[in-house]
Amino acid sequence: MPTTPSSQNRSESREGTKAPEPADSRDGHTPLLGRRAAKVDRLAELMGRREEGGHGAGVWRTAFDRMRRSPMAITGAVIVAVFVVVALFSPVIAPYEPVAQTWGDEVFPNRSVFVGPRAENWLGLDNLGRDQFSRMVIGARQTLLVGVVATLVGFGVGALLGGAAGAAAVLGGRWGRQVDNLVMRVIDMMLALPTLLLAVTVAALVGPSLTTVMIAVGVAQVPIFARLLRGAMLSQGSRDYVLAARALGVRKHRIALVHILPNSLGPVIVQSTLTLATAIIDAAALSYLGLGNPDPAFPEWGTMLADAQRFLSSAPQLAVYPALAIIVTALGFTLLGEAMREALDPKLRK
Amino acid sequence: MLRFIVRRLLQLIPTLGGLSILLFVWLQRLPGGPEYALLPDDATAEQRAELRRSLGLDEPVMVQYLAFLRRIAQGDLGTSLTTGRAVTEEFLTRFPATVELSVTAMLIAVTAGIPLGYLAARRRGSVLDVAAVGGSLLGICTPVFFLAFILKVVFAEKLGILPSAFRLSPGTNRTDLSGLVVLDGLRTGEFDVVWNALLHLALPGVALASIPLAVIVRMTRASVLEVVGEDYVRTANAKGLHRNTVRTRHVMRNALLPVVTSVGLLTGALFSGAVLTESVFAFPGIGSFIYEATQTRDYPVLTGFILLIATMYVFINLLVDISYSLLDPRVRAQ
Repeated sequence: MPTTPSSQNRSESREGTKAPEPADSRDGHTPLLGRRAAKVDRLAELMGRREEGGHGAGVWRTAFDRMRRSPMAITGAVIVAVFVVVALFSPVIAPYEPVAQTWGDEVFPNRSVFVGPRAENWLGLDNLGRDQFSRMVIGARQTLLVGVVATLVGFGVGALLGGAAGAAAVLGGRWGRQVDNLVMRVIDMMLALPTLLLAVTVAALVGPSLTTVMIAVGVAQVPIFARLLRGAMLSQGSRDYVLAARALGVRKHRIALVHILPNSLGPVIVQSTLTLATAIIDAAALSYLGLGNPDPAFPEWGTMLADAQRFLSSAPQLAVYPALAIIVTALGFTLLGEAMREALDPKLRK
Repeated sequence: MLRFIVRRLLQLIPTLGGLSILLFVWLQRLPGGPEYALLPDDATAEQRAELRRSLGLDEPVMVQYLAFLRRIAQGDLGTSLTTGRAVTEEFLTRFPATVELSVTAMLIAVTAGIPLGYLAARRRGSVLDVAAVGGSLLGICTPVFFLAFILKVVFAEKLGILPSAFRLSPGTNRTDLSGLVVLDGLRTGEFDVVWNALLHLALPGVALASIPLAVIVRMTRASVLEVVGEDYVRTANAKGLHRNTVRTRHVMRNALLPVVTSVGLLTGALFSGAVLTESVFAFPGIGSFIYEATQTRDYPVLTGFILLIATMYVFINLLVDISYSLLDPRVRAQ
């Protein structure tokens, strides 16, 4: 008697697995290979679900649950959220024009006369009589722009190189391993240059501008992303679902793009959060080296900090505000990234 | 072991070869070639063309690349546009200063970072642990040049207890043997010079040490936490080995492996930091010279220095891998 419900259950679940098949045959006169591919896709999906499932939730879901309980992640997320909101709505938040030298006759850097915080200028005036608070707020937008674009450059190029190398190594046979070898030698070469020097090289070549900083900082991150994605793809390449897909004759580029790549993106996404922090700090360093944006209409924290160094002994607050902003923002991204890494790392689970 | 080293040395060849191609292409793409840098502004187009021909710049790219390689092999990296001296000469006169500064920073980072990381791991969750982890996060997120400026303003300008610039006080007499002030002073017995140099190294050394220190504390802590939970540590404790023996032979020997790797990689990052730190403290090393070269767009200096630094970085990584295989028999077996 007790066997009946269980067998019923099983047949039900089997039917559930079969369900997508008619849909597949409907959507086209797919040749054998395509139908097989669809089957394998389904298989990989189910396998993936069971593998991640364990306790009924996906790996991202459990990671998210863990992060919600981590004070590190919450602190980081709050900092990042505040930063992004300020950056997005900066023209609305900033009370004055960042370039207007409205109070220019009150500040005399040569005689060490500066104006500190007061009712109308919350953070005081800078060395040219501009409202420091407005400049900080507008600067958040520039800083976010630099960080995001630089990270996208590093992510994009790095993922392309690393993904190609990883896919070639896993699926390309002997030729593929040679391609992988070649790409990785190029990556090693890029790794052989200290990041700031790499950035300085790019910046010196293109000339000082905001674009330069973004490209330079981004290029410096390329090898890290490339290595990371390649490593993740190599480790995924030996999994059973890849073997199953190959055995069923799924085309290689499909295996690489649809099966291996999505499963390999976790560490790369975590790294982008950490890279945002590095990018903001590196951009500040490039600005200090005089390779940043020379246009005063777009204040950026790094440039502001670099400009304020001259008055550090007479008006330290001018340097401290942008420096604190950089440190806190970088800290926010680092905390969030580290918390994500810990949450996703099974070794660190307790 | 020998085979391992030879294989790694052979692997250096394609890496450096590729790097030289990159730098060569970069040199080619530079705006305003030597015909603008070396000749006066009012030179005629014929004169410029003549100079290009005499320098071999009208040859095919392949021929030029081979000539470039031959020059590099002969140790000729061109001439600085600002000082008019050979790039290699500029490098060699400044390199000892940077070595001294980097070694100081690394010593500070290692001697403080490893014990701190160990203690933080052993007293997990204590005030010390939270402070160490928080402090190292802060250290990673603080721009080096800002920290350097703060140190300079506080200790040199406000308190006046440490010098703020250069390697030695002006007018100090010393016997120059190798360019390494501290080492020379110890060898010749000029201890006042040694003390003077150490005082000058203190602030830039601490500023430069900030990032490696932060990374080493975190690495050591994470690594010790992982090793302490291993079965062989429990076995060692169960055998009744002395705590110190377990710590040095079992825990630290295994926990330090990833730390050694990161120390090697950090040495490369140190050069980046040196550019910023040296320029703040007017420390006459290669970092401040690169800073000046970026300001004056002195391209031969930039390319030459970058090639030399990259070569050194590759060699340092080789040394790290060798030391790694000395420490870990499993790596050797592979």
